[in-house]
Amino acid sequence: MSAAAATTARRPWVRIVLAAVVAVVLIAAPLVLPAFANQTLVRIGVYAVAVLGLNIVMGYTGQVNLGQIFFVGLGAYVTAYGVNQGWNILLVFVAACAVAGVVGLLVALAAARLGGLAIAMVTIALPIVGVPLAKRLSDFTGGSQGISARFTDAPEWSGLDNDQWQFYIVLVVAAGAFLLARSLVRGKYGRAFAAVRENEAVAASMGISPYRTKVLAFTIASIFGGASGFLYLAAVQYTSPETLSFGHSISLLAAMVIGGAGSIAGSLLGGAYYVFVPQLTNAIDPNLTTISQGAILLAVLFLLPGGLVSIPRVVRRLTRRYAGRSSTGRRAMARPAAETSQQTTPAHRPVPDAAPERHEQTERQDGP
Amino acid sequence: MGTFIQLVVDGLATGSIYVALALAIVLVNQATGLINFAQGGMAVLSAYIAYAFVQLGLPLVLAILISIILSFLLGAVVERFLLRRFEGGDPDTAVVVTIGLLTLVTGICAVLWGYNNLGFPSLFPLTSVELLGAVVSVRSLATAVTIVVIMVVLQLLFLRTKLGLALRAVADNPASAAFSGLPVGRLLMVGWGLAATLGAIAGVLVAPQLTLTPGMLDTALVYALAAVILGGLDSPIGCVVAASAIGVLENLVAVYIPLIGHDLKIAVPFALIFVILIIRPQGLFGRKVVVRV
Repeated sequence: MSAAAATTARRPWVRIVLAAVVAVVLIAAPLVLPAFANQTLVRIGVYAVAVLGLNIVMGYTGQVNLGQIFFVGLGAYVTAYGVNQGWNILLVFVAACAVAGVVGLLVALAAARLGGLAIAMVTIALPIVGVPLAKRLSDFTGGSQGISARFTDAPEWSGLDNDQWQFYIVLVVAAGAFLLARSLVRGKYGRAFAAVRENEAVAASMGISPYRTKVLAFTIASIFGGASGFLYLAAVQYTSPETLSFGHSISLLAAMVIGGAGSIAGSLLGGAYYVFVPQLTNAIDPNLTTISQGAILLAVLFLLPGGLVSIPRVVRRLTRRYAGRSSTGRRAMARPAAETSQQTTPAHRPVPDAAPERHEQTERQDGP
Repeated sequence: MGTFIQLVVDGLATGSIYVALALAIVLVNQATGLINFAQGGMAVLSAYIAYAFVQLGLPLVLAILISIILSFLLGAVVERFLLRRFEGGDPDTAVVVTIGLLTLVTGICAVLWGYNNLGFPSLFPLTSVELLGAVVSVRSLATAVTIVVIMVVLQLLFLRTKLGLALRAVADNPASAAFSGLPVGRLLMVGWGLAATLGAIAGVLVAPQLTLTPGMLDTALVYALAAVILGGLDSPIGCVVAASAIGVLENLVAVYIPLIGHDLKIAVPFALIFVILIIRPQGLFGRKVVVRV
């Protein structure tokens, strides 16, 4: 049955209709949902973009980055500064992405020189240095008290509430970010990322510079972080040194792993995890937030290394195992074999003949 | 001049804490090829355990000894039941596991003892002595001496005992060590146990100064990592030198360069790292690794 469903999903027109339905639902949702639900969805969008950036450097390129929240904070501060200076909002957005990107480039240029885990060891410092830095540069950042900037109140002509207006801003930017990331990881650069993640020496022998690839991935991740910071300010309208604290950076990493490393859809799930689970644990007992986060992260690493996004695949595999071989067709038998070969050598993956199938394959790259 | 010596001595005292954490990180890395980001968190847990036994009315020294033994067991258990599954696999996944462990351990401390700062009794008297024109607290002096003693003991353990030889063999090449009949798994557990013990000592030494909170050693962990990068992951001596140097340097910079000051001094080791990574990517004392396909 699942094979039949998969075949249907592969037809182009089905995909187009599906995409249209999703788009209509997303556009209509804020108009019918209560304000609180909208705000939650907006925050999911904000963090999904940050997780998406982290996914590019970590999930796809295999470089542990513990400082993504620093770039989110940087983007938020630049946005607040630009808005308070009365810049055009598009200029503010570009500045938020550009400043984060340049700082990310500088960090990566140094960190990527050391192989292995040096990027992790250097980036862990970013939020820890970032918090006192934000307090110190109080002319720009408002010091410990933080800084607020309102620019996302709904204009009169739209007839919308503020939360609906914010929803649309986040929706546009996040959708753009996701489409960009999707085409990035499926193209030339995506293959370079995968090659570097699998084996740097092999990548180098294929003519891919691991150093440049790592710097590129890190810079792109920082730009996404900056964009997420812009969205953060659009949604929350306030930022303080607390925004870029060490704990949040770890939460972001946990969200990426739990959503699904090396997966675009996993980034969205990661954003949802980042917003929902603390909300849930805070409602029960605020002290439980950290411990539940650690426990969930470890549990996912043990039981579901592909993250939440791999649940359908795991379920499919299990049902196939228990359903026996007779009921499923030739295609269903061929699929697991293809899956294993991709997991061991994603760098040498043959170019798939059917374009839509590539979607699933990209998402399946995540390692053991 | 008096201020200068004072700053250097204080810096060495703080640096000795980073030395202990950095050594623990190098120890684990040498044995397993991993960076244990939970090292600081585990050390905090050890300090809390000692605190709990003090609260029960035990003498401080006894409480610390119990905590050290428990930490050794904890380290071994963590290796056996958590890390073993990820050893030899993707190092990035293993690192994420240690970050999960850091979050979990911090969370456990928070649930059991809360986020409030708790006063931890000092092992050493709070009086101070004159030394080369500088006033040095006995506590800092004793802390530094303790760390030096531990380093010497470790060095003797590694170079003069059978266990040390076996640990080095496993670190150098687990596969050949296994062929030679060494119990690699058990030795890895011992390696993690020793690292946790080092962390525990760092924890109880620094707790009186910082007061006990779940995130107490997050900053120290960052310093220790900086020291490890600077000193080279494969050089215990290198990271001892680098950690002490960082301790001294940050103290000097905080006072003599007002632009940086006390709040931003943590940026100093990283500015240093940037410069050094550009010139010498393998670290000051590290060996250059040749990569083969």
